[in-house]
Amino acid sequence: MPIITLNEISKLYGFGDATTVALDEIDLSIESGEFVAVMGPSGSGKSTLMNIIGLLDRPTHGAYTLGNNPVARLRSNQRAKVRRDKIGFVFQSFNLLPRLNVLENVAIPLTYKNISLVRRLKRASVMLEQVGLGDREYFMPRQLSGGQLQRVAIARALINDPSIIIADEPTGNLDSSSSRVVMELLSELHKSGNTILIVTHNPELTRYANRVVYMHDGSIVHDERTPIGEVPRLAKKVMNLFPRKTEEDDLAGISALMKILPSKDAAKKLRKNIKPRRTKKSSTKKKGKR
Amino acid sequence: MLGGDVKIAVASLRRSKWRSVLAMFGIIIGIVSVVTIVSLGEGMKKQIVGQINRLGNDLITVRPGKVVSRDNKGNITKVNIASNVGFGAGSLSERDYDVIKNTPDIGIAVPISLVSANARIDDRQYDSGYIIGTNQDLPSALSQKVTYGTFFTSNESKKRVAIVGRTVAEEFFQENVPTGMTFNIHGQEFVVRGVFDKFETSPLGLSPDYNRAIFIPYEVGRDLTGGNSQLNQVLVRPKDPSQTGTLISSLNARLLDSHDKQNDFTILKQDENLAVTSDILNLLTGFIAGIAAISLIVGGVGIMNIMLVAVTERTREIGIRKAVGATNHQILRQFMIEATVLSVVGGVAGIILSLICNYTIRVSTDLQPAITWQIFLLATGISLIIGVIFGIAPAAKAASRDPIEALRYE
Repeated sequence: MPIITLNEISKLYGFGDATTVALDEIDLSIESGEFVAVMGPSGSGKSTLMNIIGLLDRPTHGAYTLGNNPVARLRSNQRAKVRRDKIGFVFQSFNLLPRLNVLENVAIPLTYKNISLVRRLKRASVMLEQVGLGDREYFMPRQLSGGQLQRVAIARALINDPSIIIADEPTGNLDSSSSRVVMELLSELHKSGNTILIVTHNPELTRYANRVVYMHDGSIVHDERTPIGEVPRLAKKVMNLFPRKTEEDDLAGISALMKILPSKDAAKKLRKNIKPRRTKKSSTKKKGKR
Repeated sequence: MLGGDVKIAVASLRRSKWRSVLAMFGIIIGIVSVVTIVSLGEGMKKQIVGQINRLGNDLITVRPGKVVSRDNKGNITKVNIASNVGFGAGSLSERDYDVIKNTPDIGIAVPISLVSANARIDDRQYDSGYIIGTNQDLPSALSQKVTYGTFFTSNESKKRVAIVGRTVAEEFFQENVPTGMTFNIHGQEFVVRGVFDKFETSPLGLSPDYNRAIFIPYEVGRDLTGGNSQLNQVLVRPKDPSQTGTLISSLNARLLDSHDKQNDFTILKQDENLAVTSDILNLLTGFIAGIAAISLIVGGVGIMNIMLVAVTERTREIGIRKAVGATNHQILRQFMIEATVLSVVGGVAGIILSLICNYTIRVSTDLQPAITWQIFLLATGISLIIGVIFGIAPAAKAASRDPIEALRYE
């Protein structure tokens, strides 16, 4: 039973000739307990996809079922409640509130569940222990390293015990050793049953995932399942093309990878051949390059 | 939950202390002005009520001009402020005094006539008071004792004697007990016979400050001004206090007759006097407090402005809070509470400052401002309402932020 099901999800920006297609009829279903890594060049729609899955954004077309509930057309307050109860976010730039200490930052999501301050802080403290920062409770974010900040962000994402963790380039601002610590933490969460979606430019990190989805120009061009611990075939190619030195190398590698991959239309055809053909298609949709 | 929200609000206001203090400034000034003005008004009313109660409700005041309008049943329907301020003065004459004096059931009738003259001792002139021509019954009409010496008697109505108020003794004679001292009015020598006990003053009251008055016999005063005296008031008490109503009716009828049915005088009981004074005071304090309240609106706009800046500055925070599950309503509430806390803290600071203001006024002037719990409640209520009203727009702006846009905000 998939926990996330996207059917023909599109996201368009702008009007008329200026319309930009950020997501182009995406079909994706993610099983509960999967660790999915999403790769693709900048502007391929990875973040938009994550935002729609995370109910931060609304699709222009298409259907989105979370668990058994259609959520694509929920009102903003209902979406907020689903986010609060079912989804934990980890952002590239950590997104901690600089004026709150670490403990208060972790406790923020509980504020919106009408939980008393004392209980909020107690639970936040337990969460911080879990991410190995029990001794940093009263530190301010500016006093922590990048890796520690991301662990705080993970603790905040976990505090509501969400079933899905969405991490948009969680290691983007971290050095390799901190990245490893963060990924190990996410891996632990995966082992304990959470569904994890991660956007990354670093092919090396896909070894933590059991499924890698490649995106290009708003479409999913390749979807690959691999055993945990192994870098998938395509990601390996990227690593070989551009041995990792910097973030730019990763991006260049991914762009090069997209040239190897079948074109967007060819990939679509390929997918349509594999899956039962769709009968209904939006005729009014406008397309463009992002 | 509310407690938690207030804590968050207080914490976020404390983080930008100076800005918060400046934002509150308008509210503080507004509350200080409104509280001070209202408490001054209340204090004056209290003083006047005290004075009127002391005089007793059987004291009838006949005044020139039409101070009030009445309906058929004799109830006051309107207070004519213009005639109170002086335009209606001068319609009572000595003839009226005779009419009043000769009305049946009259206990005492005391003329109060301002004599337009100055008292002098050698080269020193007394400018800051009044000379009042009156008769021997004034102490009982005003229920006031003469502390030192005695008031003049009916036999002394043509003698140049004077009884002075406390302030006159201190300022003009520069003595606590100037009995026996002499002074001149229009070149005629007067002897001080006594000093009145201190009159309770009532600022804005209907009677002058008698502490600054020199009382001389009515007839002497009339002669000083060439035999043409104008009566400012006639104070009347009935023989029997229960006859006050009847006496007022007969006074009214007789005076109307003597004025050719011209209703250009006013007869007031003490409680009506109180009502008239309260009306004037309420109008005045209401008017001034209304002007002061404008500063509260300016204060509210200040808070709105600061909150709008805060919302823009904290756009990313709004995005983060929404991402982790805050609903629009919860964001709205957070910013509304912040604006309200800002305003109420300003209100409380304003109340504390107005207490200091009140103390200063009490010790440095004759005014006795009265702060009541209702005024505190009013001030707190006003600041609460201002916080809510002026917090709505910034809070709504915060709540309507799109989470994605807000998270991208740098």
